[in-house]
Amino acid sequence: MNDLERELESELHRVLDPVSSLPIPPRRAAHRRLSARTVLGGAGAALTFKILTGVAAAAAAVTVVGAATTGSLDPTVWGQVVEEQVQTCKNDLAQGEHGIGQCVSSFASQHGQAVASSARHQGSSKSKDNNGNTNNGNNGNNGNNGGGANGNANGHPKDRSTRSPGPPASRGS
Amino acid sequence: MQSSEEAAAASGLAKTQEAYQPGSEADFERLYRNTYRRILGTLITLVRDRATAEDCAQETFERAYRNWKSWQPDAPVEAWLHRIAINVAISDRRHQRIRQAGELLRRLGRPAPGQDPSLVAERSDLVAALKKLPPKQAAALVLRHYHGYSNREIAAALGVPEQTVASRLGAARKQLQAVLGRA
Repeated sequence: MNDLERELESELHRVLDPVSSLPIPPRRAAHRRLSARTVLGGAGAALTFKILTGVAAAAAAVTVVGAATTGSLDPTVWGQVVEEQVQTCKNDLAQGEHGIGQCVSSFASQHGQAVASSARHQGSSKSKDNNGNTNNGNNGNNGNNGGGANGNANGHPKDRSTRSPGPPASRGS
Repeated sequence: MQSSEEAAAASGLAKTQEAYQPGSEADFERLYRNTYRRILGTLITLVRDRATAEDCAQETFERAYRNWKSWQPDAPVEAWLHRIAINVAISDRRHQRIRQAGELLRRLGRPAPGQDPSLVAERSDLVAALKKLPPKQAAALVLRHYHGYSNREIAAALGVPEQTVASRLGAARKQLQAVLGRA
């Protein structure tokens, strides 16, 4: 052991030995910080907020599209409208003919154009009410015009675009 | 010389070695009472003052308590506690640097505060030099020359392989001499 080590030991004992006679304080209770920090703060909270916002936005989008299509907020009505339109297209099929996709698509496009034109005539300030009234009326026609939902969904974007072609008249049933 | 040191260290530590059951509340309370002063002594040489050392000691036992169920008795329990204490001291030094910058800005143009009375009692150029070393180097010297730890126990406390402890101690002594201006 060299001089430095001897001096080190001596000094450490001089300074630290009195500590061994100190009273021992009561132990501080361990507090749990994990749960509150995870839920309320930091990256966890930000991620939770983003996920909830995404889920809410998706649910709102589905509701708006469904309601605009059928004029009803009840999801069961949305299913009925689609079923009725599909059945109508099936009934229109000739013997041995297959495929109702064109029929459904054509109906949706035509109806969308009609709803969009009606909404344009009503003026932009009441456009929301006009869409709702038109859709409600369509529902009243027992599904023949019930594709208003598709009409809105397909028709409005086409209506806004000047490059959009008109509805394919040849596909109409 | 090394072997006699080892033997002395082993016999000294044998007195402090007791059996503890991981997860046992009563055993942790016993561990706290048996080791608090030794942990506090180490921390006094690593952090700036007594009050901070006491706070770090409590933080050490809080962290140890949270991991008490998963402690494995294959390593000496006091070395495990020292490892936690050294990490707490490292965190405190990091935060201290940030606090010092803020205090320096607040103190601009004012007289410096008087010295802490507890520091006057513990004033020692050598201990002050220890506080300037990297915490793991300072801790290695304290564990060897005050607590009488063996290389294995220092290795467990520092989280390094046992083979590297001797070289770490040598580096710590050289660094201490340099800080004291005796190189």
